This record gives sequence, C-alpha cells and structure tokens, in this order.
Amino acid sequence: MSDLKLQHLEKIYDNKVQAVYDFDLDVKDGELIVLVGPSGCGKSTTLRMVAGLEDISKGKFIIDGKDVTRMPPKDRDIAMVFQNYALYSHMTIYENMAFSLMLRKENKNEIHQKVLAAAEILDLTSQLNKKPGQLSGGQRQRVAMGRAIVRRPKVFLFDEPLSNLDAKLRSATRREILLLHKRLNATMLYVTHDQTEALTLADRIVCMSMGHVQQIGTPLELYDTPANLFVASFIGLPPMNLFDVEISDGQAINSDFAVDLTAEEKERLAPYEGKVVTMGVRPENVVERGNITVNVFSNENLGLNTLVNGTTGKHKITCKFRGWCNYKAGDEVKVSFDRKHFFDKETTNAIR
Amino acid sequence: MPLAREGVCDMPVRNDAEIRKDRLRFTKNKLSANLIIFAIVANALYFVSIYSSDVGSYYYKLFIGGSIVYNLVFMLAAFLSSEGIKNYKLGYACSSVVLGILQICRIFYIPMKAHKAANPVADAKNATVMGSGQFRYVSFCLIVSAVLLIAAGIIGFMKTTTLNSYLAELERKGQEGTDDE
Repeated sequence: MSDLKLQHLEKIYDNKVQAVYDFDLDVKDGELIVLVGPSGCGKSTTLRMVAGLEDISKGKFIIDGKDVTRMPPKDRDIAMVFQNYALYSHMTIYENMAFSLMLRKENKNEIHQKVLAAAEILDLTSQLNKKPGQLSGGQRQRVAMGRAIVRRPKVFLFDEPLSNLDAKLRSATRREILLLHKRLNATMLYVTHDQTEALTLADRIVCMSMGHVQQIGTPLELYDTPANLFVASFIGLPPMNLFDVEISDGQAINSDFAVDLTAEEKERLAPYEGKVVTMGVRPENVVERGNITVNVFSNENLGLNTLVNGTTGKHKITCKFRGWCNYKAGDEVKVSFDRKHFFDKETTNAIR
Repeated sequence: MPLAREGVCDMPVRNDAEIRKDRLRFTKNKLSANLIIFAIVANALYFVSIYSSDVGSYYYKLFIGGSIVYNLVFMLAAFLSSEGIKNYKLGYACSSVVLGILQICRIFYIPMKAHKAANPVADAKNATVMGSGQFRYVSFCLIVSAVLLIAAGIIGFMKTTTLNSYLAELERKGQEGTDDE
C-alpha cells in the first residue's frame, strides 16, 4: 500500500518568501492526483517537497503511516519524472533504465528482467541499444518513465513531463501515461499547468494559485462546480465568460443585458438582492438563440465546434457553438445562457 | 502492494544462463575492453622505463626509433581492439590475442638483448645496458600486458560466439514462430 498524507505543508524560503501555504491532502493508494495552476503557484515546489528535493518548512509528510518529512530523498522510495527527461546522454536506453538499480547493486539478471519488462510496457524494446540522442522527445520521455518504473517505487512524481513535446505527441503520451497508471495501479502525483492534461488524467485535481490550494476535487467537480472565481476562470477552455451583474427582481442585470434567473437561482441569490455579483457563463453554455445581442468580431471553426468571439456592448464574450458557423466580423447573433455560475464579488467564492 | 503492480515486471520464467546470454544483447563487453586498456597502461610503464634508462649509444643506433614506432602502432591497435571487442567483433578478439603474443615476443627482443649487451658508456667493467632489476621490471610489465591482452581476447571470443549463437537461436525461433502462423 502507498497512501500519502500531506499534512499542512508549508514552504518558506530563507529569504522569507512563502511558496506554499497550508497544503493538506490525503492521497489514496493507486490514485492519480494532478496539481494544476499557473506558473509560480507552488505546484512544483510541493512536488519537490514530496520528493525530498526541498525541505518542508512546516507540516508533515507521511507515506504508509511512516513520517518521512525529514527523510533524505533516496530513502523515500519515490521516483520522479522530470520535464527535461534528465537522461544520461552517453548511456544507452538500457543502461539509463538499469542505472538506478545498478547503483543499488541489485542482481544483474533481475535488473535485466525488470528493464525488459518496463521496455515492453513502454514499447521501447527495439530502442534499448540506442542513445537518448537518437530518440524523439516522446520516446525520451517514455525512457524517463521506464527508469521510474523499473524501481517499482511507492509513489511516482511527474513534473510537467509533457511540456517539451509538440501537441500531437503530447496527446499520445498523455494517453500512454493514463494506460500506464491503469496498468501499474500506482500512486501518482502529476504537476502540470495544462488544464487539458489535468482534466483527462486526474482521479482528483488540486487547483493552486499563489501558493494556496483553491479547490480539491474530481475533474467534473472542478468543471461543474468551481469553488471560486479563480478555479472557474482557470478550468475550462476557452475560459469562462465573466460579467458583473446586479441581482434585482429575479434578474441578473448589467448595462448590456438582463438575464432571467431560474427559481433555484433566485432562491440561492436571495441574500444578494440589490447587490452586484460576478456571473460566469462557460462558452459552451451560450446558446445560439435568445435576446442578448452579440456583435461578432471573429469566427474560429474548429471542426466539430465554432468559437465566436464578440461583444455584448461593453463586455467581451466567447461563444462555443456546435457545428460549422460562418459569421463574419460585424454580424449580430442573438444568444442566451443555459447555465450560469455566480460568485461573491468580495470573497470571489461561489454562491451556493 | 496491489497484485497488478507486482505483476508488471513479471517475465516468463527463464534460467540464469539464458538471462546471462540475453543480457549480452544490451550490454557491452566492458570487461575485455578494460583489460586491454590496462594492457596499454602496462605497456606504457614498460616503455617509460626503457626510455628513461641510460641506454648509451647502442640503443640509439639500433632500436630506439623502431621501438617508438612499434609502441605507437601497438597503442593504436590495442585501443582499436578495445573498442571492437567492446562491441563483440570477433576479429578484434583475435587481434587482441595476437597483440598479447607479440608482447611476449618483445621480451626476447629489446629487454633480453639490452640485458646481455655490454654498455660502452658505463664505468664499471662488464656492466650491461639494462641491469637485472630493470630487466625483471620491464619483463614483468610486458608479461602483464600480454596476459591482459590474451585474457581480453579469449573472454571477447567466448562472449562473442555465445552472443552470435544466441542471436542465431532467436532468429531461428522467430522464423519458426512465423512459419507456425
């Protein structure tokens, strides 16, 4: 078993800069947790604390009930896959994968079997005699994963492993990581700033900003019921449209439009009557019929969908319509919103 | 630990001898290559000793030039053998053995002759170009160099033939598998 408990972890550097605040998370055995957030939000620092590459300033880190907070990295039984692969260029793929086991002075025949098994999983068997320089980026990343697999660690850590790959390869390698997780059933912590990776890979997502955990939940929870404005705007592509609206007489009103609230929304927003709140509408929740006028300034056909960017008076809006549209700049489209999110203007928390 | 994770690295049960053979496919013959490098070092100790000694005119006239050329050729050939043998090339294993035999022959050339030859520049009567101590030392260097080269060659030969027969066996099995289909 490899359950992880990260109890109130904090990272404060010597210059008093605090990178991580009160990070609290329980990871179940075999779970894939994705830490997501913009650059500088503290996700990699958290991962490095787990790996033992950064000291933990406050809090406890427990693996399988054992406190490893002060334990050196080599004794934690954790394997990390880096963004830049960190392969030894003078060694063959076989040697790269076997290296950590050789350092442990394991039996050479056992090392051989482990390396072959990992290569088989990652479809690298035919590449074992090559040097890293002869492989593509995706293959190199698979070698880095293979090096982690052969160790059979308690926990796998991935620090933005797909960032150096092109879009096509990224998507293919993402699927491989997902298959690998299913096959190994290993506990994994995965850091990325790419929300697509987060949504597609994670059992649970930890969304971070400025060193604080914003929300922990399943991908659907984060997408469907974002805890605050940050999560709402960060998760989802294109990002959610946000409007300041006043709640008045069962309507959400701003200078450009008035939207009728449903009975459930009216009840939820009752304490905010007469106040200004932030209303969020995902582009895919904008419907191509209604009474709100959008002045189109661009039309992006994506095949299955079309992104229509425009303005409703002063406010910019992005709509994601199903099918192929041919709007031109200057066209007017009538739209309505079929799903709305509301956030407190002061706290930025979701109004529930 | 979940069973699925343990099962990941499970391989069909094979005996140690077969695994050792299979390892040759992915590992280089570093043992033989390193033995040859040590043989080059032993040879270097040999020629440093003979060139630093008071050899008098005898050597200069007859052997030194040839000896320097031979040592250069030897080091190049030995290094090439080291690289070739590392990659399981049968020819280089043979060349390594030949170089080892030549090293033994060298004992009977410069060291032996110099040990027997009178030194015209030495003050003492009956003094030889190479004293007994130095003769034993350079002979030892050449013998060590020869033994290392021959050992490297034999090990290289054995590993290479083992690997070649294993690869042939794999190929045969592969073909049989294809035929079965």
